[in-house]
Amino acid sequence: MQVTALTMASLDLSSPEKYRAELTGLLKKSGTGLAVLPAYSALLLGVSTGAIPPAESFQKTFKDYIDRHLTWNDTYLELHEKIAREMGIYLAAGTVIEREKDLLYHTVYCFNPQGEPCLRQRQTHLTPFQLSIGLSRGEELPLFDLPPYKVGIIVDSDALHPETGRILGLQGADIVLHCGALSEGLNCWRQVAGMWSQVQQNQFWAVEAQLSGNLAGERFGAAPAVIGPCEITPGKSGYLQRGYPHTAEVTAELDEAARRELIRKYPLLKLLNWQAYSELYREES
Amino acid sequence: MALDGFIEKIYRRYMVWKCRPSRVAAHLDKSLPGERKVLLQDGRRKIRVAALQLKLKLLKSPLHFADEMHRQVRKAVDRQARLAVFPEYNSLPLLGMLPGFEKIEEGYRKKAAGSPNNGSKKGSEDENSLVDVFKYMSPAVQPLVDITFSRLAKAYGIYIMAGSYPLAYNGGLFNRSFLYGPGGQLIGSQDKVHLFIDEAKWDLKRGSSFSIYETAIGNLALPVCMDATYFETFRILEHKGAEIALLPIADMQEYNYWLALRGIWPRVQESLLYGVKGALVGTLAGLVFSGRAGIFAPLELTPQQDGVLAEVNTDSDEAITVAELDLDALQELRQNHPWRDTNQALYSRYFPALYRQD
Repeated sequence: MQVTALTMASLDLSSPEKYRAELTGLLKKSGTGLAVLPAYSALLLGVSTGAIPPAESFQKTFKDYIDRHLTWNDTYLELHEKIAREMGIYLAAGTVIEREKDLLYHTVYCFNPQGEPCLRQRQTHLTPFQLSIGLSRGEELPLFDLPPYKVGIIVDSDALHPETGRILGLQGADIVLHCGALSEGLNCWRQVAGMWSQVQQNQFWAVEAQLSGNLAGERFGAAPAVIGPCEITPGKSGYLQRGYPHTAEVTAELDEAARRELIRKYPLLKLLNWQAYSELYREES
Repeated sequence: MALDGFIEKIYRRYMVWKCRPSRVAAHLDKSLPGERKVLLQDGRRKIRVAALQLKLKLLKSPLHFADEMHRQVRKAVDRQARLAVFPEYNSLPLLGMLPGFEKIEEGYRKKAAGSPNNGSKKGSEDENSLVDVFKYMSPAVQPLVDITFSRLAKAYGIYIMAGSYPLAYNGGLFNRSFLYGPGGQLIGSQDKVHLFIDEAKWDLKRGSSFSIYETAIGNLALPVCMDATYFETFRILEHKGAEIALLPIADMQEYNYWLALRGIWPRVQESLLYGVKGALVGTLAGLVFSGRAGIFAPLELTPQQDGVLAEVNTDSDEAITVAELDLDALQELRQNHPWRDTNQALYSRYFPALYRQD
């Protein structure tokens, strides 16, 4: 299967229609069956189209989005539902901030080729900034079926918390989609410490989308990538494809037979020694 | 391979006699300086550490082993290190004490020529033989290691993580690392908790917990090689208060930058610790060992923001590298970290149940 990681760089974001036309053009060209958009995508498109007025800072703009413009989510999600259906692909639609009861979550919706949501994944670990604006943590990491694969999603800074990948890996995830956003000021190593490291210790594939561009004064810039266990990637680098922050997308073909053969020979998760972890995770009495 | 015949028993007694502590101590004492006191800086808790990379060569005598370890410790001391870290399987050179081993080794080498090990190893018969050899040598190796590093630590007034050794206890073979203090005392040990797949096939026994040792230079932990493949190890160490993880490795594959990156480097990013890696390199019986000894830290504590404080520049030769660890800076980072969070509700939902499923 072909998979694609996007950055939103070089797309025309001035209107939802132009964005849709450019994104579908890009996806058609890539021939992908599964595409992933980065974190903060709803906010970026909202600000770019004028649906969310930019404030003096990213933090303030983010807060305004939460306080006054969550209705933009309906437009945003409907747009991506249509794109998934039109393209006949699975599409992880980047992130929105959603309100449920009185709680706010940073959430990815993934649509199937019929345009129906096949997974909703909330960010489970939050940064000090996200906590300061009142976001709550998700408490589940489910998978969905994309035959023959099982697929999970890791949202934003969850990539830096290895518990997320382990939970997905132990549930049998074959592919993990990552909607990420890293500040441009950080070098590449922060990114390597995230999904690349998660892949190597769980032996799944990862499709890593990273936000690129200026969002209300905050510059984001990390590279999109398709990652696999080192042993089955060119140069044993762990990267099937890796772009630059300004790259619009990277696409790669997953060799699932090679991954399964690797796991048969070198079953990392079978060599866990959970009896030694009791200090970390005790049974609920 | 059965090593329980009359000749083997006699030879083992001879090896144990040759490795007896009084003999090794007397030999070392001829070249050691007088006892030194460990030097600690006032104010900020800073510690200069050395990561050693040793090249495999067969040694015919336990005294040669003691001399070789002494030479390595002196290199660390010459660079003002207060802690030196040795590699995994640090007793492999002692296979040279076995009569005829060089010939056996040459045979293996020829057999392996043209088919270098790419992570895969020899047949199970050879592997089982190796386990038998480790068990056979264990009564000689343990006292030799103990007296050598105890003497060296005391003489130079430094801490030494002596590397790890396949040693027999209670009928099983464990891969165990040792830590010695500047008084020459054995501070503690650690059995490897996560086995490499071939070690599992060899029926090595796993450790069942991780220990932390509080010392004057910080809280030290001694996970072994493959333990650094799993984030759980470093999470536990961090929870238990470890500040520096001392990791011996003996990586049985041709060197590749990315393969080598998969161990201690990501672990110190996920769980905030310093990491010091001692590496064994070279070839033995057709097996290639590679690595790069190094000293690692969370990105925020490294000058290039790359997680590396120091790393040797060869993957196949003897080398040493040193760096200074700032334990106060580590504590400050832990208290004001830019992204760390925990989610007990999430963990309770999935752990430990997920680990238990097959």
